[in-house]
Amino acid sequence: MLLQVLVSGIAMGFIYSLVGYEFTLIWNAASLINFAHDKFIMISAYIFAGTFVIGLGTNPIVAVIITLIIMGVFGALVAVGIFNPLRNMPSDLYAVTGTLLLARILAELTRLIWGPVPFTIQNFITGVVHIGGIVIPQINIAIIVVSVVFLIFLQLLFKKTKIGKAMRCVSQDKTASSLMGINVQRYIIFTIALSTMICTVIGILIIPTFMVTTDMGSMIGLKGFAASVVGGFGILPGNIVGGMTVGILENLSILVLPAIYKDVVAFVLLILFLLIRPNGILGKRKD
Amino acid sequence: MSNVHDNVENSLVKNEYTKSKYIVFLVLVILASVLPFFTTNTYYIMLFDQILVNIIVVLGFNFITGLTGQMNLGTAGTVAIGAYITGLLTVRCNISPWIALLLAIPAGYLIGKGLGYPSLRLKGFYLALTTIGFTVIVQLMVTNLSDLTGGTQGVQRIPGFNLFGISISTNESFYYFLLVCVIIAVLISIKIIYSKWGRAFKAIRDNIDAVEACGIDVADIKIKAFTLASIYGCIGGALFANLSGYINPGTFGIDMSFNFLIMLMVGGIGSIGGSILGAIIVTMLPESLRFLQDYYWLIFSIIVLIFVIFQPNGLVELFNKIYKAVKSKLLKKKGGDDIVDHSKVK
Repeated sequence: MLLQVLVSGIAMGFIYSLVGYEFTLIWNAASLINFAHDKFIMISAYIFAGTFVIGLGTNPIVAVIITLIIMGVFGALVAVGIFNPLRNMPSDLYAVTGTLLLARILAELTRLIWGPVPFTIQNFITGVVHIGGIVIPQINIAIIVVSVVFLIFLQLLFKKTKIGKAMRCVSQDKTASSLMGINVQRYIIFTIALSTMICTVIGILIIPTFMVTTDMGSMIGLKGFAASVVGGFGILPGNIVGGMTVGILENLSILVLPAIYKDVVAFVLLILFLLIRPNGILGKRKD
Repeated sequence: MSNVHDNVENSLVKNEYTKSKYIVFLVLVILASVLPFFTTNTYYIMLFDQILVNIIVVLGFNFITGLTGQMNLGTAGTVAIGAYITGLLTVRCNISPWIALLLAIPAGYLIGKGLGYPSLRLKGFYLALTTIGFTVIVQLMVTNLSDLTGGTQGVQRIPGFNLFGISISTNESFYYFLLVCVIIAVLISIKIIYSKWGRAFKAIRDNIDAVEACGIDVADIKIKAFTLASIYGCIGGALFANLSGYINPGTFGIDMSFNFLIMLMVGGIGSIGGSILGAIIVTMLPESLRFLQDYYWLIFSIIVLIFVIFQPNGLVELFNKIYKAVKSKLLKKKGGDDIVDHSKVK
């Protein structure tokens, strides 16, 4: 029982880590929080499941690739159309409001295009695996494997490639990077597109657990924020630590607390960390 | 307020306010008080009531987000707590709604201090994150503690107010009661905005380092602004419970917080007039777009998004521009020179 709970905690932890990763990228690159990220997650699930796998009967692997490309382009468009104008406004309020409105528009569009009824893909990574005495849902294994591969890929991208290095430069110091001949505007767009693609991966991975609904990403999106603060806001590895902490503690809480409090755990952790250790587990004390 | 300079500046700003804006405010109050005579449709009266409740909440929200510039997304949570205090005390304990309304004030104070303390000592987005978390927790708790709160069924048959034996529970009479509440809320807001606190709020938004250099406790002032916002929110929630007579957890989601934010942005951040305008427009506009049927909420969101990008200072800025243009034209006719700077009046 304990091991089972731990495995599902780790799986959810990876999801929260990815959420944290995805919005920390935008935060570092454009210093704004993308409050529409849960809708990005939701709309990629709809495109993948609603349009390709169910609508057109595409092979899931092909559908994943097409959805990733569509969402990447979509992310770039959003960056050009909404994030760039809002980034330069005198106050953060505009950016927050802009992303919130974008979220609403996406939710409404989804409802109009795919209808309000929740659905799911039949036989898409379902079933369980027996390892020793414990029963693990296949989806949890899939989440862990895909997340690990994807996080390694991201790490390689940031450390080894020119694009990744340029992205890191832009997030550290925009003036210096533009002096070094990096097109800051373009790399911000790249970063936001990449972040949107992470949302796509999350969206596809959570289909079996959460079904495809208009608010499938809401809770995960909010807990991703909490995970990020717990791990250390703005630090990429902090998201993994925070995600794991929130995911595992939340699942362990079922063993001691009534199940209804499971969703509260992440936010209690958030407030506790702000009180005791505002820089997070990995954060350094600045002053 | 021992500083002489402070007093001089204060009185200057105040005078300016008295001259033009109080007249506008008075006209608005008169217009608002005759409004119910023009319609017999109860739905519209209900909508007007809703607008007045929203005005109170947005006025409070304006302190923390508009004036101080800190993102607060927990309005729905505070409104929910205010509403449930009234709902539960009046229905379960048979306590008079007046006492419940008064209890909303300490409740708001506690929320403000409790949430403000962890999140406002730090710079950045932390308040936005904690307040989102707060709203989610409140909604989850209210939904799941069904023994206490009635769960998804909500609280029904919340009684209306009674004033010296006269019931003010019809929509029309409640409208006037709310109007009085709004007037009090506006007057208190004006008092605060043109006080030492109000100036500190604006200074934090404009240049936080300068405020710190002046020896003002930034965290303390921010927490004060947030506490004011929660008190207004709780009162708004209590009135909302009395207005609709029925509350359920579904109403108080994050979406409600966004709505108040949109009201503030559309009206114009940091301004009382803007808060009022925003509350009116954002409550009315979706209703007037109903003819678009399924698409009305989509079109409404797109209109607001375009508006926020191209008119970031809100409707109030538009009105101010028109006012300035008219005034400078009039002054030119008289041969007067430069007009008074109105950018101070917010």
